Amino acid sequence: MILIHCPYCGEREQSEFTNGGEAHVIRPKNPEALSDKEWGQYVFYRSNPKGIFHERWVHTHGCKKWFNAVRDTSTDTILKIYKLTDNRPEISEFKSPLKSPSGEPAVGSGNFAVKK
Amino acid sequence: MPALRNKNCNYISNKEIKITFDGKSYSAYEGDTIASALLRNNIRLIGRSFKYHRPRGIYTCGIEEPNALVQILNEHNEPNTRATVKRAYEGININSQNRWPSLSFDIGSINNILSPIFSAGFYYKTFMGPKGFWKKIYEPLIRRTAGLGKPPKNFRSKSIHQNHNVDILIVGGGLSGLIAARKLINTDNEVLIVEQDSFLGGILKNSNKIKKIDGKNVFEWIQETEKLILKSKNIKILKNTLVTTYNFTNHLIALEDKYVGKNIDINKSELTLHKIRTTQTILANGHIERFISFRNNDLPGVMLASSFEKYIERYGVVPDEKPVIFTNNSSTISLVKSLINLNCKPCAYIDSRKKKDIEDETKEYLSKNNIPFYPESEVEGCEGNKKVEKVYIRNINNKILSISASMLCPSGGFNPDIHLFTQSKGLVKWDDKIISFKPDTAFQKTITLGSVSGNYEFKNLCNEINKKLSFLKANDLNIDIETNIRDDFSINELWETKTDKMSKWSKSFIDLHNDVTTKDLKQAINEGYDRIEHLKRYTTNSMGTDQGKISSINSLGIVSKILNKKIAEVGTTTYRPPYAPLSFAAIAGRSTYEYYDPERKTPIHNWHIKNNAVFEDVGQWKRPWYFKKNDSETMHQAVQRESKQTRQTAGILDGSTLGKIEIKGKDALEFMNLIYTNAFTKMKPMTSRYALMLGEDGMIMDDGIICKINDKHFIATTTSSGAPKVLSHMEEFLQTEWPHLQVYLNSITEQFTTFNISGPKAREIISKVFTDIDFSNEKFPFMTFKSFNYKNTQARIMRASFTGELGYEIYISPKHALHLWEQIFHYGKEFNLVPYGTETMHLLRAEKGYVVISQETDGTVTPLDLNFNWMIGKKKKDFIGKRSLTRSDTAREDRKQLVGIVPIDKSQFIEEGQHVLERENLPSKIKTPIEYLGHISSSYHSPNLNHCISMAMIKSGNKLKGKKLFVSTPKGTKNIAVEIVSPVFIDPENKRLVS
Repeated sequence: MILIHCPYCGEREQSEFTNGGEAHVIRPKNPEALSDKEWGQYVFYRSNPKGIFHERWVHTHGCKKWFNAVRDTSTDTILKIYKLTDNRPEISEFKSPLKSPSGEPAVGSGNFAVKK
Repeated sequence: MPALRNKNCNYISNKEIKITFDGKSYSAYEGDTIASALLRNNIRLIGRSFKYHRPRGIYTCGIEEPNALVQILNEHNEPNTRATVKRAYEGININSQNRWPSLSFDIGSINNILSPIFSAGFYYKTFMGPKGFWKKIYEPLIRRTAGLGKPPKNFRSKSIHQNHNVDILIVGGGLSGLIAARKLINTDNEVLIVEQDSFLGGILKNSNKIKKIDGKNVFEWIQETEKLILKSKNIKILKNTLVTTYNFTNHLIALEDKYVGKNIDINKSELTLHKIRTTQTILANGHIERFISFRNNDLPGVMLASSFEKYIERYGVVPDEKPVIFTNNSSTISLVKSLINLNCKPCAYIDSRKKKDIEDETKEYLSKNNIPFYPESEVEGCEGNKKVEKVYIRNINNKILSISASMLCPSGGFNPDIHLFTQSKGLVKWDDKIISFKPDTAFQKTITLGSVSGNYEFKNLCNEINKKLSFLKANDLNIDIETNIRDDFSINELWETKTDKMSKWSKSFIDLHNDVTTKDLKQAINEGYDRIEHLKRYTTNSMGTDQGKISSINSLGIVSKILNKKIAEVGTTTYRPPYAPLSFAAIAGRSTYEYYDPERKTPIHNWHIKNNAVFEDVGQWKRPWYFKKNDSETMHQAVQRESKQTRQTAGILDGSTLGKIEIKGKDALEFMNLIYTNAFTKMKPMTSRYALMLGEDGMIMDDGIICKINDKHFIATTTSSGAPKVLSHMEEFLQTEWPHLQVYLNSITEQFTTFNISGPKAREIISKVFTDIDFSNEKFPFMTFKSFNYKNTQARIMRASFTGELGYEIYISPKHALHLWEQIFHYGKEFNLVPYGTETMHLLRAEKGYVVISQETDGTVTPLDLNFNWMIGKKKKDFIGKRSLTRSDTAREDRKQLVGIVPIDKSQFIEEGQHVLERENLPSKIKTPIEYLGHISSSYHSPNLNHCISMAMIKSGNKLKGKKLFVSTPKGTKNIAVEIVSPVFIDPENKRLVS
């Protein structure tokens, strides 16, 4: 279980939080003007990268506040936590890529416990 | 005669205790494990193996034990206890496992003769058919004969959890761990040392390898170190605690046994699960000796060499005075020295290494003590009746010699105990010098020290520790370690010895716990399972509760030889937590039985109990399901009675569990218009409205009644189990999408107790309770509400109904709730007011055609599918889910739609969940899927109509009204003929509701 630094309460156990999926998916201002495809894109499609990911969290069993985080999904390392009002950090900010567990390749998963 | 005792052992007391094994009493010493106590009494046969029921003895002296599992009869009948770990105490009652009728005569051992059918993958091959045999014959049979101990009975865990936050965690209080701790004494780091034994010292206490440390004898040095640590301000020690799990972010789990060497007090917690968070983990958890496969390497009397030495040094018992020692490395000579110190003498020393590779000191020592020495030789196998009697040696000239011996001590080298390191996601690499895997790159802040890092040489240890811990800026230590044996480790590769003899009984094992032989490995590879992860699962190799601690690397060695690959290329299987079996009771802690999940009760709960309510769980709530009038009344009778009475006079429901959310603020109206489908702008203050909440996908999430006090103040009700979800849905949109709206939300579910009174006499009853309020239809019409003061608390009455009858919902402070409830019954008596539960509530609403969210809906139902077009604020520019209602899929006319269904033969009953079909009969054998239109979502016997009424979601339901269709039954091929009708069965004109 990872530790998450709630920007309002401080560092807490992951069990106090709920993940809210991809961040910065903005609800369209005028849904009626969108085609089915465009609206479907907003409702159903989310990215799920291996690596750096902007995502939402809510401190469910705490202050109940939503906030955003940048997490490396291959290592479960939280790289940055920021409030909803803060700007989206660029991926280039986190250029130093962390080694992934067991030296897995960039795409896919699998057991590569002994690479060498 | 008891086994020889090593009187110089410092870890066993002189106090005698009595233990019972398989019904017989034996004496042992306080501090003994079950294994050392039995060895003291010369008991070597201790159990039967998992599959072949072969006789098995004690193989090791610790957590790695594959054989010696026993059942502790006192202590909740605890099964599968490792005899080599569990400490004995006065009165402990132990049974051997997996044998019948007795340990020495076991009928199951016939499996050994039948072993050709139990070879690799036998589950997959043997039990393929005929159909039905698996469930009725094979599985019960296998469960009876294979396996381990019996599960505990009437067991209730009292274990607790404890959290730690430290700077440095040292796993293992052995030599490396203690040196690291000495370095950290009185530094700024908060340190925790976790040790699985009840004594610190590791190899210092378990072996004879080290003569002096810092010029002191080892016992003195351990005591001095422990005193220094205990005196320090920053270091704590947890003994009898085993680290089992190494998670992400340096989060480790360790299990402490608080009743080591004591009978469990059933009133106190016996286990503590430590959850440790640390900045830096130091792994100093040592190494584990591995075995060598040879013919009958499982016979009782075969015991790993270092374990034999540990019994002498740590437990003060010499299991045998003349064992045969068989090694492929330089470490075993210390066992010989231990024995010679006690005037015992091995009857042979067999070393598989080349003559020139064997240390001169070893050769000299053996010849000086006249010990028969066989260099460049192997053990071909051993034989005996339930114990080792003869050992066969293949000597340097390839001749087989036989010698008589009762114990045989193999040593196949040592594996750094990389289990925790790989759990932490660290990478390992193959080391040709030690012939094993050792830690390479750490993934987290993890440091490995001593033998776990692959360093087996004591003279380098201090340097290694100083170097690896230099970042902590602690003073360098210089501890002089004087050894009894030559310090440089030498080993040759040997996984399995050649065998000449073949018999059905003889086997060469690779996994003792799961009875996997080296032949099984070969067979599995021949059958194509040549990937190590496949091979493991196909053969069950290293899948026992010991996780192949003494054998998994050996199997890689054998496999690599067959595949002609390097071991590093074969790779290891994935090491997964826990390191050793972890009791579920410890994980559950106190969260069991009534403490597993909170129970929520309404203020009327005790009244319900007194009035024979049968309860139903709704989320965490306990709600009355129905009220039993007398003991003989069935649920059906009670529900029919309650339903009928409510429509005839009046009934009352405890609706306190209903979720209630208060919405306040300048922009409350705008918010409500966005979050619910309905239009609230033109709604008059002090009126209420049935409302729907959708997800952004247009599917119904929840429903409820909204009370509008004014444009800045609303109260919403939700379904009983949906309240938390609805509140967090509202919060999410407020915070993330519409932060500009000035609205705040408040859950008031438990601040207001709610009663729903309904029926034709409801008005008369309630007028007598609240005499100040005018309940006439003109002054108090349907879907309006009144707020008033009740005994200085806020109260609210709303005219609404979920039964289709004239109804009122009373919202009252919980403080006055029970009193008011009783008042209502006082005035309701003359009208036969009946309390009803959730089942009657469901029946009454079904008669009226009202839907229940998550009964009629399942997350794929839009308001249009329920013909709720009237509830959608079409003129509103936007609300959550609005755009989705015009998507091509949601606008389809052939979606599943809500209909009512009645059987044509009114005596028939339709079951919930059955399929609605167009065909009258089903084929007797169903070969292809049968097309169906939908399913029955609700079905009841209506006491007011006196026949079955059902609701269903079926394809193009709106167009099918008046048509004849069929509904399947739980049994038989004949379907029930039904008519599709409107789902409103009673009072379609709403006369009862609004008058």
